Order: sequence, then C-alpha cells, then structure tokens
Amino acid sequence: MSRTFRRHGRAIRATFGEGELELLRSLRDQLREALASPDPDDPVIKRLFPPAVLGDPEAEREMRALLVDDLLASRLAGLDALVGLLDRGTLHRGSVRIDLVDDEPMLVLGVLNDVRLAIGARIDIEALDRGSVTDDDPVSYRLALMDHLGWWQEQLLSIMGPGLDREIGTDLAAEDDPIGGPGEDRGDR
Amino acid sequence: MRLTSSAPTPVQQPETDELVDVDLPWDVLVWDDPVNLMSYVVFVFRQVFGFSDEVAQKLMLEVHERGRALVASEPREQAERYVQQLHGFGLHATMQRST
Repeated sequence: MSRTFRRHGRAIRATFGEGELELLRSLRDQLREALASPDPDDPVIKRLFPPAVLGDPEAEREMRALLVDDLLASRLAGLDALVGLLDRGTLHRGSVRIDLVDDEPMLVLGVLNDVRLAIGARIDIEALDRGSVTDDDPVSYRLALMDHLGWWQEQLLSIMGPGLDREIGTDLAAEDDPIGGPGEDRGDR
Repeated sequence: MRLTSSAPTPVQQPETDELVDVDLPWDVLVWDDPVNLMSYVVFVFRQVFGFSDEVAQKLMLEVHERGRALVASEPREQAERYVQQLHGFGLHATMQRST
C-alpha cells in the first residue's frame, strides 16, 4: 500500500484518493455535528470529555467547569481548521495532494485520533469482542475504518517526531530514526 | 515590633492548613484504552512531559500491560494542566490526591 503521508522537504505531503478525502470530510462533519451541541449522554462526548478527578466530586465539578469548554473550543477549532486544510488540496493524477507545514501535521494527527475515538465510542469498543464480529456486520466496516485511520496515524508519527511541529524543516526525523533527534532540547517547557 | 491584642494567631491556623493542602501532590494516571495507538501514546507522553523516548516507552507499556500508569505527581494546578493536555490528545487521564 502506498503511503498517504511522506516527508517532502520542509513539509509532510499528504496524498489522498478522492474517495479517501470524501471519507475524511464526512467523518469530520459527523464529529463536528456531535460536538456542535454536545449531549452529555452521547458516548462520543463521554469518551472525548472523560472524568478528570477521582475520589473528589467537588474537585471534579470544578475541573469540568474549567476543562470542558476549553477542550470543546480547541476541538471545534481543530475540525474547522481541517476543512481549510483539505480545501487547499490540488489534484495530481487522480489524487489530492496537500502539503502540511508547521503545526498542521499535529492538527491532522489529533483529528484522526478524535475521529477514531468517536468511532470506537459509537461501536462501544470497550465491550466489543472483535473475534465475534462477522464480515457482514456494520461494525466490521467501522473497525476497518479505524484501522485505516490508525495506519495514517502511524505514518504521521513515524515522520513527525516529538516537538517537530515546532521545528519542521530540519531533518531530525530521518526515516531511520523516526522519533530520535534533539527532541530533549525544548526550551519552551 | 508591636504585639497587639489583635494579633491574628487564630487566623493563621487555617492559612497554614491551606498552604499544606496546596502543596500536597496529586497523582496523574493514564488508563489503558483499546483505541489509542501505542506509538501515539509514546508521542503524547514525550510532547506533554518532555520524557525521553525510553521513559515514554516504559510508561506506555505499563499502561498497556497493567491497565494504568502513574505519569506525574504534582501540585494540583500542574496536575490539572497535565490532565487537560492529555484529554486534549484523547488519552484517558485522571488525577487524584496522592496517598
């Protein structure tokens, strides 16, 4: 299978089939809809905004009050930014090419993860026995989708390296040393 | 120095308690889940805590094999910041008073 993400000079180049791009847009839209009017009983909302404090209900209430709005706002901002990013794609031999720079690979990585978490929550993956899922079960398709997006994440992770979103353009994420490089030298921490 | 009858001795007691309370660490735990990729968890640990690859790998394996790992023990505000960041990355993280 050819890679969807590869290093291209200072950028990470994404190459999506048109079907893949449509799929990504649709998954993005579904998550956007779930987040637009978050229902506390929705398994997706429960999974993306889990309890933060154990053993102290008052501290949990305080924490949620601080946390949920911030997290929701940053997730919505990420999903909205993804649209602009996907719209930037150019067509090359039937594939859509998008060069990701600066913090964009991180944004894509995060959205892919949220989308996978959302799919997992919808099929109650915590309780699911994968072995019992037959091929004609719609859950089987959702699992395949999660695996496919997971493969994209693996590709991104193998060429990003920690902190690379701030230092993209250097060659510290060489193919043979995916998460090596001077990652410890982070003065912003 | 002047010691007046209004010296706030009784008031100091709760202040001291509060200070001690603020200083008590909170443990930040990360729990296993069936969706987050092992490589992603390592990446997040390195991003959030600045861990070396070795430490991040070790903690990720602890989460994977034992169901959870203690990743930090910090004053409340810092623990809250970590939990918020970890939730932002989609990791299942919680904090609790250190025992």
